[in-house]
Amino acid sequence: MIETMNLTKIYNPGTPREVVAARDVNIRIDDGTITILRGPSGSGKTTVLSMIGLILTPSSGRILIDGENVTRYSDYWKALYRRMNVGFIFQHINLLPGYTAMENVLIPLLCLDEDVLNYKNKALELFKRLKITERVGNLVQQLSGGEQQRVALVRALVRDPKIILADEPTVFVDEETARIVFEMFGELRDQGKTVVVSTHDPRLIKIADRVYTMEKGTVVREQEA
Amino acid sequence: MLKRHRNFFHYALDCLKKYKTRTFVVLIAFTIAISMLSSILFLKDGLEREAELSVSLAPDITVSYLQGGRVLLLPSSYIDKASEIKGVVRALPRIWGYDGKGLNTYTVRGLDLSGVEVDYGFSNLVKKGRFLVPEDAGTGSIVIGELLAGVLKVDVGDTMILLSESIEANRFTVVGIFSSETTIYTADLIVMPIDDARKFFKIPEGYVTDMIIYTDPEVPVDNVAAELSTMPNARVLTKDILLRGYKAAYGGRGGFLVTFWVILLSAVALVCFSQATIVGRESMFEVGLLKTFGFTTLDIIEIRLIESLILGVFSASLGMVIGIVYDIWFKAGIFAQSLLGWAFLPAEFHMPVYVSFPSVFSLYAVTVLPLLFATTVPAWLNAITDPELAMRRAAA
Ligand SMILES: Nc1ncnc2c1ncn2[C@@H]1O[C@H](COP(=O)(O)OP(=O)(O)OP(=O)(O)O)[C@@H](O)[C@H]1O
Ligand SMILES: [Mg+2]
Repeated sequence: MIETMNLTKIYNPGTPREVVAARDVNIRIDDGTITILRGPSGSGKTTVLSMIGLILTPSSGRILIDGENVTRYSDYWKALYRRMNVGFIFQHINLLPGYTAMENVLIPLLCLDEDVLNYKNKALELFKRLKITERVGNLVQQLSGGEQQRVALVRALVRDPKIILADEPTVFVDEETARIVFEMFGELRDQGKTVVVSTHDPRLIKIADRVYTMEKGTVVREQEA
Repeated sequence: MLKRHRNFFHYALDCLKKYKTRTFVVLIAFTIAISMLSSILFLKDGLEREAELSVSLAPDITVSYLQGGRVLLLPSSYIDKASEIKGVVRALPRIWGYDGKGLNTYTVRGLDLSGVEVDYGFSNLVKKGRFLVPEDAGTGSIVIGELLAGVLKVDVGDTMILLSESIEANRFTVVGIFSSETTIYTADLIVMPIDDARKFFKIPEGYVTDMIIYTDPEVPVDNVAAELSTMPNARVLTKDILLRGYKAAYGGRGGFLVTFWVILLSAVALVCFSQATIVGRESMFEVGLLKTFGFTTLDIIEIRLIESLILGVFSASLGMVIGIVYDIWFKAGIFAQSLLGWAFLPAEFHMPVYVSFPSVFSLYAVTVLPLLFATTVPAWLNAITDPELAMRRAAA
C-alpha cells in the first residue's frame, strides 16, 4: 500500500518562476487495485505520479510504502526499489532514440543480474498482444506515436512489476488498442498488481477502484467504486 | 553479480557505437597525440638506457687534463702517480679522437692492450670476430662498430684505409665488429692499440688523451676520486657523474618535447570535454531514464567508466603501436633531430627504442584519466539529479 501525507511539490521555490505543482496531496493506493488520477492540464497529475514512483523528490510531506516513511531514504535505496517494483509508462513516452523497439524494451533490464535475452520471449508475447510484432526490429524514431506508446507499455510490463505507474498511456493509440490496454490493466489487478493511471478515459474510470480528481495541485474529489 | 557487469559492458559498447562522432573524434585525437608522445618517450627511454649501458661499460673513473677551462693532453707521468693511490687497481692510458668527413665520421679509441683483461665489458660487445689482444700492438688491427662497418662496407678480415688528420694513409685490418646493442656508443667506434692511435692522431710521446682508472670495490669510488683530484689540473669524472651528464643531455631535450605534448594532450582533453557536452543533453535524458528503471548512480558511473576505459585503452594502445612503428621504421623522423642532435641518419642506423613500464603506464594515464574525468563527472552530476527533472530538462 502506498500513502501520501500532505505531499507538496514547489518548483523553483523562492524565484519569480515559482510553481506550486502539488499542495497537501493525501492519497491512498491499495495493493491489487486500479487508482485513477484525473484533472485538467497542469493540475499536477504527472508531478504526483513521479513523486509516488520516487523519481521526484517532494518539497514537503511524506510518502509511506506499507506504512514505512521512505521520503528521505537514499537515492540508492530508491533506485533499488524502482528496479524491483515499479514499471513506468511516461506521458512523453521517453524511448531511447537510436535503438530498436526490442532494444528499448531490454535496456532497462540490464541493471538486473540476469541475462536480458531471457526476457525476449515475454517481450514478444506482449508485442504480439499489442499488435506490433512486425515493428520490433525498427529504430524507435521510425515508429508512429501510437506504436511508440505501445513499445513503452511493453517496456514497463516486461519484467512483471508489482506497481504500474501509467501517465496518459492511451492518448496516442487507437480505440481498439486502448481497449486492449485497459483489459491488460484489469488482468494485472486480478493478478494482485497495483495500477495507478493518469487518464481522462471514461472506460478506464468505469473499472477503477478509486478516482482522485485534481485541480491546481490539490485533490478536489475522491471517488470510490 | 557478474551478469550485470557484462550487461553494462555491452551497453557501454552500444553507447560508443551510438555516439559515433564523439567516439571517432576522441579516438583520432588521442591516437594521434599518444603516437607522437610515445614516439618521443620510447626514444628517450632508449637513449637513456643506452647511456646507462655504455656507462656501465665505462671505467670507474676517467681523468683528463684541464687547463684554463680547456681539455689538453694528459702527461703520461700522471698514470704512474695515479697507480700509487690507495684503491686504484689499474690506471690505463687512452688516446682517442674523432675523424672522418661527412657520413663517414667515426670515433677512434686507442687502448692500452695490457689492460684488456680488466676491460671486460667492452670486449663482451664484440659480435663478430674478436676483441684486440696484446699481440695486436703495431699490426694495425682494429675492432669497429656495426653501423660503421655497414657504411664502409667492410667485414672481419678486410683491410681498410683511413686518412688521418695529416692526410696520411693508414692501413688497418678489421678483426672484430661490435654488436649494435649499445647502438649509439659503439655505432661509429674504431678501437685500436694505443700506439696506432698515437701515430694516427700524431700525439707526442709522453702524452695521452686521458686515463681510465679501475678501482678496488672495497674502497669507495668517491674517496679515490677525491684523492685523484689533488693532482694538478686533473679533471676527475666518476661513472655516476657521466651517467648524470648523459641523462641530462638527452632527458633535458626529451623533457622539453614531453612538456610540449602534454600541453597538446590537455587541449585534446578539452576537445573531449566539449564533445561530452555536445552529447550532454542526450546523455542527460538517457541517465534520467536509466535511473527511473532502477539503475543506481554507481551503475551509471560504471557504464561511463567502462566506455572511457575502452576508448582510452584502445586509442592509447593504438597510439603506442604507431609510435613504435614510427620510431623503428621511420627512424623517428622529425623527433630524431631534436633528440639526438643529428640531422641525418644513415640507413643502417637502428633507433634505440625502449618500451619501459613507467612510460607505458604514464601514457595510459594521460589518456585514460582526462577521459574518465570528462565522461564520469557529467554522468555523476546528471545521476544525482531527480530523474524526472533530468528528463524534463533534457526534453525542454
Ligand atoms: N520542472 C518544472 N519546473 C517548473 N514548473 C514545472 C516543472 N514541471 C512541472 N511544472 C509545472 O507544474 C504544474 C503541474 O505540472 P504537471 O506536469 O504535474 O501537470 P499535469 O497535470 O501532468 O498536466 P498535463 O495533463 O498537461 O500532463 C504545471 O503548471 C507545470 O507547468
Ligand atoms: Mg502530465
